[in-house]
Amino acid sequence: MALNTELIGKEYAPLTVTVERDHVLRFARAVAEDAPVFVDAEAARAAGYPDQLAPPTFVTTMQIMASAQIVSDPELGLDYTRVVHGEQAYEWHRPVHVGDSLTAVPRIADISSKGPLEFLVIAAEIRDSAGEMVVTARTTLLSRGTAGSGR
Amino acid sequence: MSSRVRLEDVRVGEAIPGASKVVQREDVKAYADASGDQNPLHQDDAFARGVGFPGIIAHGMFTMAHVVKAVTDWVGDPGALVAIDVQFRAVVFMDETLEAGGEVTAVDPETRTATLSVWASVERDGKRVLAVKNSRAQVLLS
Repeated sequence: MALNTELIGKEYAPLTVTVERDHVLRFARAVAEDAPVFVDAEAARAAGYPDQLAPPTFVTTMQIMASAQIVSDPELGLDYTRVVHGEQAYEWHRPVHVGDSLTAVPRIADISSKGPLEFLVIAAEIRDSAGEMVVTARTTLLSRGTAGSGR
Repeated sequence: MSSRVRLEDVRVGEAIPGASKVVQREDVKAYADASGDQNPLHQDDAFARGVGFPGIIAHGMFTMAHVVKAVTDWVGDPGALVAIDVQFRAVVFMDETLEAGGEVTAVDPETRTATLSVWASVERDGKRVLAVKNSRAQVLLS
């Protein structure tokens, strides 16, 4: 089943998450980040930050939650067992730190195909509680062998 | 809150020190739990074999995190990382040694930024396989 290109541009429900110290520590350990700013609030403050920093790719934890509603949207027609992660881009306006309350608004930025592959691009703007942009994320998922088969 | 790398000290073509990690099952499980990505492709060998792999694979974002680490360890401040764009080109299996690194491809004195070509690779059957290629990062210099 080919993906429904009519959904290009569709914005999904925002997701708000508070960045917890324990979660940041577990994530930092899981990606072998041992720089003091990621594991020690005092070291982060000494470096000029309000609190312990989250490793840069920590925002993926929010994206996974926020994009769940897209990949499972029955209107889209995505078979998640055929999906691989093709590309990931981030632009940071500032680092994320413990205590941040972040809101992600995910949307389908593009759907395209090339041969048997389909490309689903999910974009998300992530802002803090003051409404300031913190990071923009762009995720390209590849759906294998689904192009040109119906719909 | 500033890069420890000075614009004046950076040369195009300069390689940054890399990051290296032997990827083990418990690492991938810890990443699944910390990230929330519980796709069975990363935890269930039978499922992974069912979609054509010899066993479970590491998360692409796990690989990307090591590429980011190589860059932020070099600049010394995560706040100096402006942007990154990574393309996943090959999967990483258990017990493979993931190497991540980069090379400066451009320096812009106006914006005081450097652009790096970044990569991640593993050795497989005597060959270097690029898990991340055609990828770049942008950092602020002091």
